[in-house]
Amino acid sequence: MRVLVLLAAIAAYGAPKLVKLQTVPASAALHGAKSGQQFLAIATYSDGTEADVTAAANWSVSNAAVARVTPGARVSPVADGGTTVEAAVDGVKARSVVKISGSAEVRPFQFARDIGTILTKRGCNSSACHGGVKGRGGLKLSANALFPKDDYEWITRGGTYQVLSAEIQGERTPRVDVKEPERSLLLRKPLMAVAHGGGKRLETDSEDYRTILEWVRGGAAYGSGERLASLTGLEIYPPLAAMPVAGARRLLVTARFSDGHMEDFTNQVLFSSNNGDVATVSADGVVNGKALGETAILIRAAGQVTSVGVGVIGPVIAQYPVIPRANFVDDSILAKLRKFQIVPSELSGDGEFLRRVCLDLTGTLPPPERVREFVALRDPKKREKVIDALIGSPEYVDYWTFRFSDIFRVAIFANGLTPKFSQKYWEWIRENVASNRPYDEVARERLSAQGYGAASRHFIPYNQIGPAADVMAEEVRVFMGRRLDCAQCHNHPYENWSQDQFWGMAAFFGRLFKAGPVVFDHPTNMDFSSKDVDGKVELLHPRTKAPVAPVLLDYSPLEPRADGNPRKDLARWMTSHPYFAEAAVNRIWGYFFGRGIVDPVDDFRSTNPATHPELLTALAADFQKSGYNLRHLMKTIVMSRTYQLAHTPNATNASDVTNYSRSLSRAIEAEVLLDAVVAVTGVPETFATSVLEGGAVGQAPAHTRAINLKDPDMYFSRFLELYGRPNRGAIPERSGKPNLSQALHMLAGATYVDRLSAPGSRLRTLLERGAANASIFEEFYLAALGRSLDKDELAELTGLVAQRGDREAALREFVWALISSREFAENH
Amino acid sequence: MTHDTRRDFLRAGSLGFLGMGLPRYLAAAPAASAKVKSVILFWLEGGPSHIDTWDPKSNSNFKPISTNVPGIQISELLPKMAKKMDKFALIRSMHTRGNDHPQATHYVITGHEINPAMQFPSIGSMLTKELGPRNAVPPHVLVPKWERGRQYEDYFRAAFLGGDYDPMCIPDPGKPDFQVTDLSLPKTVSQAAVDSRSAFLKAVDRRYRALNETAEHTDMDAFSAQAMKMILTPAVRDAFDLSKEPDKLKERYGKDSIGQSCLLARRLVEAGSVFVTAAGYHGTSWDTHSDNDKSHRDRLCPPLDRTLVTLVEDLEERGLLDSTLVIAMGEFGRTPHINPALGRDHWPNCWSLALAGGGIKTGQAIGTSDERGANVTNRVVSMGDLYASVYKLMGVDWTKEIMSPIGRPIKIANSLEDKTGEPLAELFG
Repeated sequence: MRVLVLLAAIAAYGAPKLVKLQTVPASAALHGAKSGQQFLAIATYSDGTEADVTAAANWSVSNAAVARVTPGARVSPVADGGTTVEAAVDGVKARSVVKISGSAEVRPFQFARDIGTILTKRGCNSSACHGGVKGRGGLKLSANALFPKDDYEWITRGGTYQVLSAEIQGERTPRVDVKEPERSLLLRKPLMAVAHGGGKRLETDSEDYRTILEWVRGGAAYGSGERLASLTGLEIYPPLAAMPVAGARRLLVTARFSDGHMEDFTNQVLFSSNNGDVATVSADGVVNGKALGETAILIRAAGQVTSVGVGVIGPVIAQYPVIPRANFVDDSILAKLRKFQIVPSELSGDGEFLRRVCLDLTGTLPPPERVREFVALRDPKKREKVIDALIGSPEYVDYWTFRFSDIFRVAIFANGLTPKFSQKYWEWIRENVASNRPYDEVARERLSAQGYGAASRHFIPYNQIGPAADVMAEEVRVFMGRRLDCAQCHNHPYENWSQDQFWGMAAFFGRLFKAGPVVFDHPTNMDFSSKDVDGKVELLHPRTKAPVAPVLLDYSPLEPRADGNPRKDLARWMTSHPYFAEAAVNRIWGYFFGRGIVDPVDDFRSTNPATHPELLTALAADFQKSGYNLRHLMKTIVMSRTYQLAHTPNATNASDVTNYSRSLSRAIEAEVLLDAVVAVTGVPETFATSVLEGGAVGQAPAHTRAINLKDPDMYFSRFLELYGRPNRGAIPERSGKPNLSQALHMLAGATYVDRLSAPGSRLRTLLERGAANASIFEEFYLAALGRSLDKDELAELTGLVAQRGDREAALREFVWALISSREFAENH
Repeated sequence: MTHDTRRDFLRAGSLGFLGMGLPRYLAAAPAASAKVKSVILFWLEGGPSHIDTWDPKSNSNFKPISTNVPGIQISELLPKMAKKMDKFALIRSMHTRGNDHPQATHYVITGHEINPAMQFPSIGSMLTKELGPRNAVPPHVLVPKWERGRQYEDYFRAAFLGGDYDPMCIPDPGKPDFQVTDLSLPKTVSQAAVDSRSAFLKAVDRRYRALNETAEHTDMDAFSAQAMKMILTPAVRDAFDLSKEPDKLKERYGKDSIGQSCLLARRLVEAGSVFVTAAGYHGTSWDTHSDNDKSHRDRLCPPLDRTLVTLVEDLEERGLLDSTLVIAMGEFGRTPHINPALGRDHWPNCWSLALAGGGIKTGQAIGTSDERGANVTNRVVSMGDLYASVYKLMGVDWTKEIMSPIGRPIKIANSLEDKTGEPLAELFG
């Protein structure tokens, strides 16, 4: 029904009327002779859509003695004073305020800004060219002019950068020629006056050419600009651009400076599209929609990178339905869907919701009787009640212990080589989950752990203290969602992470040492501390070979501590940094939707933007306000309408995979899937081990669930290996992709053969009870899929049993099919 | 943005659903013009003492003996090999990283040091991905699987390359009850049952898949078809069936895990496997921290000598030697000095390995070590150099880099100091 209504709405779409005109920015302050501001005229139409009508508008200024405006809506100063700039379209008018000061002043030259802009805008310092790890053709530039002093050095003094050594390779021939400026390599190369692998990048009649030439003529100084305000950020209008195929939107880039002033930077950045098939972008920032879909436009300025989301949308839905919201989570999701003209699916059915929420909160399928009860219950608050019952339940504690054992890497090899050590670590995680300890406290204890307690086990893979660089990179990835690893050997190729920052952070872990020998099973004879006993700094910078002292990522100062454990400062700084809450909520969100708001969940970077930045901020703020309460966060997520949407798509959202317009299917983790096979068939799995646990050797206690196995490297299970149980030697990344071995195992493996009608199994019990085929089907459907079978399915299955001749064999094969099905193996 | 690749993926998947494309796994193997089709890695777990095997020195308590190649001497513990030295190339100047078993095993099997931020694919997985499968036989096999702990096994896996390139890890063929699971239908499952299962599966999944067809679903269909083909192809099952080998040959290999794993490896490469790790030394590790000499003399070297020579002879008799490269190595060598427990400890700084087959130039020893076997004195060979040589033999561009999921380029032949390995010219002479 819904689909038909929508189609009718689309068909009814007629010519919309202009209802509102707006000029952007609303106001601008221009300072200096060379300053300028691009304005846009944005029209809003009766169907709620927006369009950029800058080109169609008539532009004028109220005070021509102060400023002038081009037909293309660029305002530049004439004299100090104030004016308005006005746009008129079809008799509708809008205006902005412009203030002009210092109209005779010329800003002093700044290498970082003036040359950095040219190098960035023309792509010289992109990571594919001179901004790459090793540079290109002997010239190394910092990516996006992040490190202007280094760039200045290579340009004015010459020589070739080496990745693994601070020594300079080759002759130091300057790339500028102060005596004969036109002969500067910095000009002749991009002009292609001499061979240049990057091709022609500059023209002699360009402003940029003149800027460089003047700079060299003036002696190629770094400039007095250091005292001037520096660029601290970029703001993009519109923050999210939606347009139809063949439509266009122009982007305005505004730069924010350290003294608080703003400047139009649209002409001083490099635009690039992440997916040119969906949308292209011109050098002056006009985005053109090419095909339905979503992508991002990256915007690079000297020292700054940002991005803006672009949606190329389908036909406008004339009567977009009103979608009720459940909580703040829905606000940004629904707003974006509306903007992109995607209608979310209906609310999920009760059975569908129950299966999903049980799997997500507890890793456990609801048994058939619970499904029946829940579906039959007439209580408007029943969803919230079941959520409250699930959160904090014993299964919840099992499941989140399991999930955090993944991220925190509980494994014999990873925690000191004996099960006793890893089990202590597992117990520590479990206590934290069971008591719902604030997540920042958990992080702080883990980061600053000393002595041989549970929380420090992860520092000692293979019973040796892990390399400082690895330990640090792991902590930053787990707790801040950033991957610093690339900066270990060189400045990060496309992020604002320098190698010095990396090693400064690593140095926090560079003083760990073991005091005394390790004797297995006698952990008390060993101390594990970061006391700087003899003042010796353990860590050397790989390029400069100089000792590195601990420095926080933002260079904020550290006071020496009486207890000699600088990791306490690190832990406090990390957990109070905005990255901490963002990374935590994004990770948890990812568990409930199969993808993060930033995805992968621990790969935040400027070139990997969030799909819903406001949602991330709101969730993080709420998480922080709740005292880093994970249960509160989870409840907020699962109570949202977004989480509770149906899996069934409609005409507008079938291809949407990023905007949460329906519940997408996601592979169930290996351990949960095996537990589900056990639950549906009613036949437990035995896990063999060769390591002693709880006094039992040989196998885990009867009825142990796969999610409760403490060490993945302690118990064998062909099924778990095939379905991608990670070994936790590295931070686990479960892919959930099928493989041939799974298919073989499904056909012939013990998991799928032996248990189908074993004594005590669900099927055997039902047969012994004399159940009819229809009720056997029903029972299994409820157990495995959380739903009843429909009439067509019942007819088809009944037919297949009859056709087979052998009833019991047929039912066995039915059970096989059920636990081999995609609907079973996925959460949706 | 990641969803774009995802979208492409889905697009590819929908083609697959229409039968217009199948996963790469099922695609025809790339036309490998190279003569070498397979690698057998004879895995000497624990790390053999190089000075007591292939690089004899005065600080070994065993005498060097002459071989059938003038100028090359090896330890008296390997008499059979000495008579066949013309079939082997030794490298005596391996210089690698990792001073304990996990680190060193990871290093020699992947070419990279352990990094908690990511898992690296093994050489076997990278080769399998480059070359593709042959004859429906599992292309990448590890035999036998470890009985305790799966950490080491994981180092042999494909990491981000995906499950298709993971080794199939099978039980110990040296045990009397040896049977490869999942390759044949259990006796309780008849053909009628198989057909009925498929019909039920279609019925159960119809409603769900009508709503939701993903690339993963179509991949699984393709894998199921492939699995069915494997199970129903006698040649595949036969490749794992050691009862088809004459008892005499089994004796020659040695009727233990070490010998039978190598025999199975030969059967598998004959049938079409690309990379087989014969790891029969699990239980009798070369990790001789105590009683180094006694262990090498009584327990370790005799089966190595017997099995390695038999493997090379057997491959040659079957005309498989030129198309199969044999690598016999551990994760490092052992210390030049004897410790108080009469053992030798770990030594990645300088160690030896043996190569045979693959059309390489044999009857030579590459590189030299100092008088105690402590340091390389001539021709440092890195793991990357060895990998580059293997890739070159198999027609794969060894300078290639593969992209990790986060966009970090990974050298497939990673040498020391972030360099790419160079094929050993001596092998191609």
